[in-house]
Parts: sequence; C-alpha cells; structure tokens
Amino acid sequence: MTFGGNGQLPSLGGRAMTPGTDQANVALDICDLSVVYRTPAGDVRAVDGVNLALHSGEVVGLAGESGSGKSTLAYGACRLLRAPALITNGSVHYQGRRSAEPVEILQLRREQLRRLRWREIAIVFQSAMNALNPVLNVRDQMLDVIYAHLKISKRDAAEKVGSLLDLVGIPRTRLRSYPHELSGGMRQRVMIAMALATDPEVVIMDEPTTALDVVVQRDILAQIVELKERLGFSILFITHDLSLLLELADRIAVMYAGQLVEIGTAEQIHHEPSHPYTKGLLNSFPSLRGPRRELAGIPGSPPDLHRPPPGCRFLPRCPYGTQACARIDMRLSPVSTSADRGHVTACPFVLPDTPVAPRSQVLGLTSTDERGTTKVPSQEPPENPPSGYVPGDVAERVLVDGSPPDSLDGSHLAALDVEPSRGELGT
Amino acid sequence: MSDTAQLDEGSGSTFTSVAAQRGPLALEAVSLHKDFGLGRHQRLHAVRDVSFRLYRGAVIALVGESGSGKSTVAKLLAGQEHPTSGSIVLDGEPVSLSSRRAFRRYKSKVQLVFQDPFASLNPAHTVHYHLKRPVVLQQGKAKRDVEQEIDALMTQVRLTPAEQFLGKYPHELSGGQRQRVSFARALAARPSVLLADEPVSMLDVSIRLEMLALLDDLCRHFQLALLYITHDIASARYLADEILVMYAGQIVERGPAEELTQQPAHPYTQLLVASAPDPDNLGSSLRQGTSRSGRPPEVASTALEGCPFSARCELAEDRCRQESPSLRQVSPVRSASCWRLEVAAPQVLAGRQGGKGGEKS
Repeated sequence: MTFGGNGQLPSLGGRAMTPGTDQANVALDICDLSVVYRTPAGDVRAVDGVNLALHSGEVVGLAGESGSGKSTLAYGACRLLRAPALITNGSVHYQGRRSAEPVEILQLRREQLRRLRWREIAIVFQSAMNALNPVLNVRDQMLDVIYAHLKISKRDAAEKVGSLLDLVGIPRTRLRSYPHELSGGMRQRVMIAMALATDPEVVIMDEPTTALDVVVQRDILAQIVELKERLGFSILFITHDLSLLLELADRIAVMYAGQLVEIGTAEQIHHEPSHPYTKGLLNSFPSLRGPRRELAGIPGSPPDLHRPPPGCRFLPRCPYGTQACARIDMRLSPVSTSADRGHVTACPFVLPDTPVAPRSQVLGLTSTDERGTTKVPSQEPPENPPSGYVPGDVAERVLVDGSPPDSLDGSHLAALDVEPSRGELGT
Repeated sequence: MSDTAQLDEGSGSTFTSVAAQRGPLALEAVSLHKDFGLGRHQRLHAVRDVSFRLYRGAVIALVGESGSGKSTVAKLLAGQEHPTSGSIVLDGEPVSLSSRRAFRRYKSKVQLVFQDPFASLNPAHTVHYHLKRPVVLQQGKAKRDVEQEIDALMTQVRLTPAEQFLGKYPHELSGGQRQRVSFARALAARPSVLLADEPVSMLDVSIRLEMLALLDDLCRHFQLALLYITHDIASARYLADEILVMYAGQIVERGPAEELTQQPAHPYTQLLVASAPDPDNLGSSLRQGTSRSGRPPEVASTALEGCPFSARCELAEDRCRQESPSLRQVSPVRSASCWRLEVAAPQVLAGRQGGKGGEKS
C-alpha cells in the first residue's frame, strides 16, 4: 500500500517534514499514513502514504477539493474513523508540552485514547449547524465536555464555561440558549469555545467557516488567530479555500486524490507554486483585488480512488502532463528553485538535482507558465526526463517499495482516461 | 419607509443601469416589500423597497450576507412568495399570479435555479424525467421533438454524450453534473429570465469557475436576463455587469461590477470587500489577530428608523440612527444609500461629474 507514498527512497530527500526545523518541536507527526474505505467494489484509498508534521504553535493549512481525503487524514490521525474506514499503514506521534514522552496514537489503548482526545487534540467539526446537540443548551453541552475530561468542581466548571464564552465573544446571557436560537456564526464560536474548553495542544479545524459569510468568517478567523497567539496551541486547518489559507496559515499542504502534492510556506505556495494542481487551485479563485485575471479552474474531476491512475494521479487533468508522468512514482521532494528545502512538491520535474530548466521548457510548453521562467537560467530542454527520475515501469517501481498493489496491472496504464466519478469518499 | 424616494431608472432620473446596454428590459421589480410575521405583533422586514431591472443578455448580481433578504427577493421574483407591497413587471406588463394558469405562464418565462443541487433534484427520477416534464408542460411539443429538445438541452449545458447521462439518477452524478441538470431543467421552459440563487456555493472550488463560465455562456447564447444571487462578491465581479449590494433587506449600493468592487462607496460594501480573503496581503491583519468587522444585525430587531447599518458603521452619527437614507446617485451609473458618503467615499464622489445633479428627492 505504499505505492505513491512519499519519501520511500532516501535519495529523494526523505520525509516530507520540513527539514531543518527543530524535531523536538513537533506536536503532531503523521508518518506514512494510509487509510482505505472498504467497499464491496474494492478498497478506496482515501489517504495514501501521507507524511505531515505540525509544529507547536504553528498553523498548517490542508487544502484540496472535496473527496481529496483532507478530513479522512485528520480524522484518521485521531482515530476517529469508523468502519468501513481502515487505517492500513503508518504512525502518528503526538508530543505534548505537558507529557514527557511522545505517544503513538495508533497504538494507544481505548482509555489512553479517550484521555488524549480533547485534552490534547481537539476538533472543531465541519458544519457547526449539525455538530451541536439540539436538545441541550450551550451551557450543558459545554459542561459535558468539561466533566468528561477534567477533574473540576461544579463551581469552577460553571465559571470556566462563562469564561470560554467570553473568550469567543458571546455574551454570557446566551448560556441557556439552545443551538437553534443562535446564528450560524455564534454556533461556530460555541464549537470553537468547546474545542478550547480543555486547553488542548492541537486543534484540528475542519472547514470551520465554510458555511458562513465573509464578514463573519473574517471575524472568527481573526479570533482564532488571536486565541492561538494567547494560548499557544497549534492548528491544522482544513479547507478548500486556498486563498483563505494563504492569509492564515504558516505552512500549507495541498492534497489531491489521497496524497499530498505540495507543502510550503504560504509565501512559497502563493508566489512559486510548484505543482500543477496547486497552480490550478490558485487559479480557481476570482480575486477581488488587482487586475481581472483570466481564470481557468481545473477541468475534469478527481480520479476514482478505487483504482487510482498509475503514476501521477493528477495526470488526467494536468495541462503539463506527458507520457512519462504515468510511469513515475510521484513523491514529495524539495523544489529545486527554492532555497528552502521545506518547500516540497510531488511533481518530479522540479527535482533538486535536476539541471535547472524551467518546467515549461522541459515539457515543451509555451512560456505562459510563469513559475521559474524568470528565476532560472534558460537552457536546452533535456531530451530525457530529468535526473532523479528513476526509469522503469510502475510494476518495477512498486516492487522496489515492497508490496505490489493488486490493482496496478497493465490495464490501468491504458485506462488513463479516468471516468469522472466522485462522492465515494465523503468529506 | 414608505415615503422613501424611489430609484426610478427611466423617468426623471439620469441614472442608467450599465446592464441596459446589453439588451431589452425583461423583468422589473418595483418597490418590493416583504414582511414576515413573527408572532406577537413582531414583523420581520425581509425586503424593503427593492427596485431594479433585469435586461436580457445581462447579468445582475445581488450580493449580501445571509439574512440580508437576497433569497427572499428571488422567491418574490419567482412567484413563490407574494410581496407585501410593490409589483413585478414582466415584458412591460404587471404580473398577477392569482390564477394557476397565470402562474404557469409566468413560470415559463421566469425560472429559478437553486443553491443545493443535492436537494433540488428528485432522487426518485432520472435526468431524462427532470428535463422531459418542463419541455412537455411548458413547450407542449410533440413526442419526437421532445427527445430532440432534451438532447439539445444536454448539449447546451455540456453534459455530453447525452445518452450517458439521461438514464442516470441524481445520486449517480457529481455535484457539478447535478447543477448542470438544474440549469438544463430551468432552460427547458425557454425562459427569458433566470434567477440563480447561489448556484455555485455548494460546488467544489475547482469547478465553480467552470459553472460560472457556463452561466455566462448560457446568458449570452439565450439572451437570458440573469439575476445572480451570491454572498461572494469576488465572483460577482467576474460574472456580473452590475452589482446590487443588499443589507438588511435594502439595496445599499449599486453600480457597475468593476467600479463597485474596486471603489466601494457604502461603508457596508467596503466592509464586504475588506473581508474577502486577500492572498496578496500575507502579513495581514488576520495574522496579527485583529478583528475589523462587526456583527451582523439581528434583522428582526432592526428598527425601521435610521440606516440599518448604523449599528456597525464606524462613521455613524445621530442622523444615521434617526433617518433612513435613500439611494443617492453618486455617478450616472452608481448610487448608494448613505448619509455620510462624503466621509465614506470621497474619492467616489470626487469622480462624479456634474455636481449634485443626480441626487434624488
């Protein structure tokens, strides 16, 4: 199940984690995590060999279309998934400031896990409309959380609920309100307050503002950032809105069809996106400021993860794709044109040791591809794929990694024209 | 509120809608009001004194936050709600929806596309059925022509090959494909007006643009008068000819899309524009954790007196809380309802030609 995974070969730069950063500072370290959904039609590989590290105090954004596996990755890392989901591979290490030893979340026993959840890692779920209990008032459901996870007296708990509401800017008069009496923005704030009730180290936010309008969204995000600064937790922020992440996140991981395709700081993702999918996402947003750009979007739909296409999963939709892409095992490796080795991409035409040629030339494109063309000395396009690209067909490559996945027979090499099929994954 | 001066595009005023250049007038909303009773003598004024015109071939965007009344406007125009006062004029004739026949005739001209393609298609029926019914009911075609028409519709919304999709049920389609079926269903009645209520907000980011491009294309191809309702002012900038900004049931600003988004005049529009994510501003106020917005109004409690935005407006003064401003012209193609435009948008007023000539009384 490691096909398409990241960083299997040491020569390719190893782990997807930001090199050079303090290893001890990592709060949540997801290693080679794979999650499948067991269905009668076969396994849906919703998360496939993902490496992602969240440092303490950091905001990491996870971006991608619906069905790309963002939520599955986050829930999988917390073991919140239920059958038919199955974690098939990987490890998730958590190191809190309060605990001396790092723990392996995937190995924890039930009771240990119960204590870890919410106390150390809290989640703000998607759609606050449905995540709150409609028959309990705000105070009672917050008390529930506090009693379940903290040893605390009744009076202190009541006081804590009050101060949590202060924290997110809801008047205490709303304590006895039921969810339906609150506006969408207020419900979302209650969700955030509940997540913070036990002073967690890591907060996973799954599309916390998607259903809200921009003014309220901005208000809540500003509040989240302010709280983060004050309380020092780290955030894994899941959203499909890349433009929002650019403003909010320190680092951004872009996910496509169950794999990470690019990780970089917000600046890097914004100014030098290195994966065609990231470029496509960036080009999907009408911008309000600046000149009107020609917008493209990304034609096509994500592949059916029952049988993902071999090689690059983005190939069927990629404007720069070549025949070679179907035979390359895409792994994250540092972007050659970037000084920071923490900026990694899965598109192999920007490997570190590649003779630096603009990818537009490598792929025989016109110069409309803006990345790199100004930064890199122009050079004859190499006739062969760049060095670092390991030739050999998929079967060989997979054998190098270990187990040959059954679904990768030759028929899929021909069937690159992936049938548009979505919705198996849910979000 | 009733004595509020009305924006009257045609007579007596120099105001012209930029959309008027696109084609003939199709649908006109005249001073629409809609109140909902909340019990105990409380009224929710969902729509207050809204007037605008839709021209064929032009896209008008109605932008506002949730609860601003934009969907109520769509329902009023679609005939699903009856206005408390005001009227709707279609092709020069006032619309009366008293009889079922009149309603059906109106429906064939004015079609609505809903936000949620997952909920707006009947899960028990195939795509073919969804399209066949409006074609048969509204166009009254012979059986053979019906199939031809359905094929044409599928091609127009780019669901090709049609045979591959016609037999499918909604759950077998992706969100984008479902919304295309919704478009096709709306077009099946051969309407002249299409009301699209947040048609892309439920779709994936990567296909939103495609759908907006499709809408734009359909609008030009069929000379549709399109009302695009959205909370995303950035998409309105790209799709629309003219933008109307709604707040608490009123239109607070209107003008050509590009001008309005680049130089918003009304403080609310300015807040809306400032709240949109700004990727170019990486060291933004967001990262520093400063909030620059207020809370949306509790519409029910918003008094009829005064500017509805005054509670959140930094520039509000006593007059704003006591008298409600009416739409005031700031240029031949723009107007805004604010008492303090001189302070809020001096640069917009400075660009105005011909002094105070446009001010309404």
